[in-house]
Amino acid sequence: MKKKVNILRKLFPYVMVIPTMILLAVFVFYPLVNMVYLSFFDYNLIKEKTFCGLDNYYRIFFIQTDFRDAFLNTLIYMAGTTFFLLFLGLVFALWLQRDSKFNAIAQRLMFFPNICAGLAISLIFQWLMDDEGLFNMVLGFFDIAPLRWLNDSTTSLLSVMIVAIWKGIGYYALILLSSVKSIPTELIEAADLDDAGKIRTFFKITLPMLSPQLFFLLITLTINSFKVFDSVRLMTGGGPGNSSDVLVYWIYRYSMEYNKYGLACAGGTVLLVILLILTVVYFRVIGKKVHYQ
Amino acid sequence: MGEIVFKNICKSFGDTKVIENLDLTIKDGEFTVLVGASGCGKTTLLRMIAGIGPATSGELYIDGEEVTDIPPGKRGIAMVFQNYAIYPTMTVRGNIEFGLKNKKIPKSERDRLIADAAEVVGLTPYLNRMPSQLSGGQRQRVALARAMVKTPSVFLLDEPLSNLDAKLRVAMRTELIELHHRLKTTFVYVTHDQTEAMSMADTIILMDGGKIQQMAAPEVIYNDPNNIFTAQFIGTPPMNVHKMRDDVNYIGYRPEKIQIFRDKPTDCTYVRKVKVITREMLGSETLYKLQILSDAENEKEPIMSKSLDMSFAVDEEVYIGVPKEDLYYFDANKMRIRETDMLERLYCTTEGDK
Ligand SMILES: Nc1ncnc2c1ncn2[C@@H]1O[C@H](COP(=O)(O)OP(=O)(O)OP(=O)(O)O)[C@@H](O)[C@H]1O
Ligand SMILES: [Mg+2]
Repeated sequence: MKKKVNILRKLFPYVMVIPTMILLAVFVFYPLVNMVYLSFFDYNLIKEKTFCGLDNYYRIFFIQTDFRDAFLNTLIYMAGTTFFLLFLGLVFALWLQRDSKFNAIAQRLMFFPNICAGLAISLIFQWLMDDEGLFNMVLGFFDIAPLRWLNDSTTSLLSVMIVAIWKGIGYYALILLSSVKSIPTELIEAADLDDAGKIRTFFKITLPMLSPQLFFLLITLTINSFKVFDSVRLMTGGGPGNSSDVLVYWIYRYSMEYNKYGLACAGGTVLLVILLILTVVYFRVIGKKVHYQ
Repeated sequence: MGEIVFKNICKSFGDTKVIENLDLTIKDGEFTVLVGASGCGKTTLLRMIAGIGPATSGELYIDGEEVTDIPPGKRGIAMVFQNYAIYPTMTVRGNIEFGLKNKKIPKSERDRLIADAAEVVGLTPYLNRMPSQLSGGQRQRVALARAMVKTPSVFLLDEPLSNLDAKLRVAMRTELIELHHRLKTTFVYVTHDQTEAMSMADTIILMDGGKIQQMAAPEVIYNDPNNIFTAQFIGTPPMNVHKMRDDVNYIGYRPEKIQIFRDKPTDCTYVRKVKVITREMLGSETLYKLQILSDAENEKEPIMSKSLDMSFAVDEEVYIGVPKEDLYYFDANKMRIRETDMLERLYCTTEGDK
């Protein structure tokens, strides 16, 4: 009798997580495994799938240049948005940390883009960045030659990044603001008494105190920027040429538009591996230096 | 080197006025102890001196110089914060070293200073630890060491020993007194503990509600209080105070000055018949709680007495007597009355005894 109760008690937690696990298995684990599996096949939904070894990987890395372009663009996009979102987020957080009416309003306004639909923002910026759009009108007003923004292969990726930064800045500033505010004021005062100066106080006290949050944001930001898709698809379609193509959009095109599932899965697997490596590296290397407690 | 002068200083947080029209001079080189109940404005006062919580109005002089525009780091001040405020991201060594590095003191000199300070506060084995790996008392000592290495002209210490055990507290108390002797700089020391105040201070400043109740040497504070607040704040148990029969003025006497007799004494100014309610042995002394046997409304409150004689039993009826020189009188505003002849004649004699 007693034994039965014990077994039930031990089983109970597992029973409770079964629904989640089933959902995860169906919608996450199975597709993941299947993706890796399919990446070793020549497969396009119609033809019989045939095993081709590492052929797909060879093709995307060494024969087709568009994957490499997308890959490089994604790296640039990741580095740019991550850096500027963290940097500007921190700047705004420091700027907004004093309680005042103005700051309260500024904070809300900055958060606003974040609650707008990505679709709407993409469309608005498409209009703003049009050849005859508002941005060029403003530039013209100052007698600066107009830019072709999304339609020029040198600025298209940059334009997409600007939109992403504009959209995300409020969110990251808000998170960093709450951490800045949670630093005990006595610490800053003690540094004042220690005659540390504003800059030294920032680098020796404020920044280390923020490092856990910055680290967390760094991880989520890099991972999220690897997944960029909708803004690219809506605003540039990866173009002109492949100048603003990114990994996920490449995968999307190869699966949904070209029906080359084997290649798409190989690309997806590469993405998966990169994200795994990034996460492990982050936690191993930076994680150690960050958590001071 | 570090005389501190407050001139007509006010401090408010929003609408709450914490300190109003304060005039105060803290003498150079003295060990001044600030005591007062929680929330009376002690920390606020220190923060004004340090420059991290500036006064709302008024003038503050350190060493004859108006310091309103001098940043905290340039005032020659070291402060031990009430909640330590040690830097959680630096090791113990880093914490102590930070101020020295900012002052561009060379490495060898720094190492020597750190080693000395760590030795004094007993933290040498912990120099490479992070603060999160220290106990509360150890953190407090880091804060102390951090202040000590700076050789400031004014030391501000906000309850720096509150988290130490009794033994360590006594040891650190001695260290601080020695440090003061060695440096001969101005110390402003905040504490709740009146023993600490009495034993360490050259001058005690007793505060209540943002006002200074009395500022004097410990023995003056004890023997010659200005008002009922001071009289009752210093000394354990506090001075017995009750209304006199005129229902206007107050009379007070310290528990340790009460003499207890089995027979009615003749040579005391103040004599009452009392009953012993409780009796507490404190070791060398015994604490009695006594009820005056009288119907008068003003003498209903029990009184405390501290006596070397432990022979009186609970429920025993005895006499207490207080000599003339140990009686204190206060007026309706609870301020001391020093012209006492008339009061004594009118209200004090044995006629109270029934
Ligand atoms: N930042 C602040 N905002 C509003 N009120 C404050 C602020 N700091 C202090 N006060 C108020 O000022 C009064 C004095 O505070 P202070 O910290 O000086 O007390 P204290 O004498 O140091 O008390 P304790 O012995 O408990 O440390 C308190 O009533 C407190 O509520
Ligand atoms: Mg305080």
